[in-house]
Amino acid sequence: MPLTDPVLCKRIPTKPWGDPKDRKLITYDEYVRTGGYQALERALDMDPKDIVEEVKAAQLRGRGGAGFPCGVKWSFLPEPDGGRRYLAINCDEAEPGTFKDRLLVDFDPHYVLEGIAIACYACQLDTAYFFIRGEYRHQAKTFERAIKEAYDNGIFGPQGLLRGKVDFAVECYQHRGAGAYICGEETGLLEAIEGKRGWPRIKPPFPAVKGLFGRPTIINNVETLAAVAPIIEKGAKWWNEIGCESSIGGPPSYGTKLMGVSGHVNSPGVFECELGIPLSKLVNDYCDGMRGGKKFKGAIAGGVSMGILGPDQFDAEMDFDIGKKYDVMGLGTACPTIFDEDTDMVAVARNIARFFKNESCGQCTPCREGAQWIYKLIGRIEQGNATSKDLDLLLELGQSMGAMPGTTICGLADGNNWAIRTIVNKYRDEFEARVKPYSVAVNATVGATG
Amino acid sequence: MAWIVKESAKMKIDRRPEPYLTDEMKARYEKDVLPRYETKMGAMMPILHDVQHAYNHIPYQAMEEIAAFLDLHPGDILDTVSFYEEFHTHPVGKYTIAVCQSIACEVCGHQAILDHLREKLDIEPHETTEDGKFTLLALECLGACDDAPCCLINDDRHNKLTIEGIDKVLDSLPD
Ligand SMILES: Cc1cc2nc3c(=O)[nH]c(=O)nc-3n(C[C@H](O)[C@H](O)[C@H](O)COP(=O)(O)O)c2cc1C
Ligand code: SF4
Ligand code: FES
Repeated sequence: MPLTDPVLCKRIPTKPWGDPKDRKLITYDEYVRTGGYQALERALDMDPKDIVEEVKAAQLRGRGGAGFPCGVKWSFLPEPDGGRRYLAINCDEAEPGTFKDRLLVDFDPHYVLEGIAIACYACQLDTAYFFIRGEYRHQAKTFERAIKEAYDNGIFGPQGLLRGKVDFAVECYQHRGAGAYICGEETGLLEAIEGKRGWPRIKPPFPAVKGLFGRPTIINNVETLAAVAPIIEKGAKWWNEIGCESSIGGPPSYGTKLMGVSGHVNSPGVFECELGIPLSKLVNDYCDGMRGGKKFKGAIAGGVSMGILGPDQFDAEMDFDIGKKYDVMGLGTACPTIFDEDTDMVAVARNIARFFKNESCGQCTPCREGAQWIYKLIGRIEQGNATSKDLDLLLELGQSMGAMPGTTICGLADGNNWAIRTIVNKYRDEFEARVKPYSVAVNATVGATG
Repeated sequence: MAWIVKESAKMKIDRRPEPYLTDEMKARYEKDVLPRYETKMGAMMPILHDVQHAYNHIPYQAMEEIAAFLDLHPGDILDTVSFYEEFHTHPVGKYTIAVCQSIACEVCGHQAILDHLREKLDIEPHETTEDGKFTLLALECLGACDDAPCCLINDDRHNKLTIEGIDKVLDSLPD
């Protein structure tokens, strides 16, 4: 069922409701004029625990990649003990192919700030850090201004949360990253806020118990928090009517989702869709089809870490079942990069392998060394210097690294594993055609000796 | 930290008599940055951004000064500086051209743009032209994949690049 009204793009003209050319920054005044901060107003009338329950009932799943239920995460927090408690907002968005959070920051930053304010009140968090990647330079300026507006209008600061309506104050600061994908990993992000290199931490302890500066911390994605305001305003029931149930007996995929499509389509961009929309529909109805009328060959499912959807998976439904149903890691950020029939999949694999080689933080040997090997092996295959044995070695290497097989600290290595493994498996012919058969030269003397 | 005090390291640090961290900067950090973080170390990244903004890169002497200001070891500062791609320990060009080389940009033709820039500027990625005007970088995804291929020139993003398009932009940049 197509979405009748935009939710996250309410104020951001987006197809089919509006023309991206008409987009402009929504200032505080404009935001309030169009119904903004009413959800916060409503939330401040509620008991904080009831807000958490409402978000739990909505079954809002994290939009940053892992799809963890937001309300459940919030309820992991210990009871307040008078010490500091933090919210860290993840706007690192460095996963190749992903650019959805940028839309909110560029045009409707107060939607995000309202979600931040509600989350802080609901979870009784006194300080929020908005972690934004270093490359989002204009976005950081836009967001800094929006934070200032929110301070000036009684959202944050000592006289904040709607001009002192409740006896609780929240500080909100922006923290700029400096070009390291790994800071998108939630504990790498915390290290970066603490001023250190972005090395992910071993869990447990989990951040909800011991996070930033050793204190309870919630980490959420930008889009997850933006969804909180409409959920509080219209209720969990309403949210549950959007999206879809699981078709394989798993947890449901409720709500709308920003999907950023790039690659070989006529009109790439970010669109707001109901979860469950088939990829083919997203490409044909929203992106005006494949570029040059070419055939679909494959798509990165949702950021390169998720792996690839093969030529026969164009109709895959974009929801949280996608991982189990189509042999990819998961929905990820729901930002697919589309490839047409002319794409060299070995080159795609090489590009992705280089990304992981460059971005491994270097803490775990299987990830640091494995990423180098994988990159070299694929380079050899691309140049026609590899044998079929190298292909097997490539797969073996991939499978050996990651937090899931239990050999690394964080999920970056799993992303590398899934990306490479699914490309090789789904386009095995292309790889086979580039490698030489494996043979061993043996020195045998035939005939009589002596 | 070891890299500065050890004789054997033989590391030469260019020094100048006047400090990089001016009183004005320190006062600003005291007022605006330090109160935002639980630890002094937390203030490091905003300070590094500011120092780099002021001096184009982060000289070693500045790292020592930041360390003294934050009650840390110089090595702590170097540790963070060296980890993040955006922090430069040596001067970079007046304009850094960062071309995205990730997947959406590659399949939309980033290589032609990068090759053109290499030829035009006669430098390889991560080098600076002799006149100090341009530094060429090849970076991973810039979060603008719908506008592939794209690049960042200092703070500004340039989208859907063509060879003619990038030529026009470069020619319009004052020396
Ligand atoms: C290597 C790696 C990179 C990640 N990058 C991001 C990112 O850029 N943005 C993001 O929101 N989450 C990212 N995540 C997921 C976060 O660790 C975390 O799950 C998420 O921010 C939680 O927010 P959510 O529950 O609201 O989705 C990344 C995870 C890994 C392992
Ligand atoms: S898996 Fe890779 S990126 Fe993650 S902590 Fe280990 S080395 Fe770093
Ligand atoms: S792949 Fe180039 S901006 Fe994302």
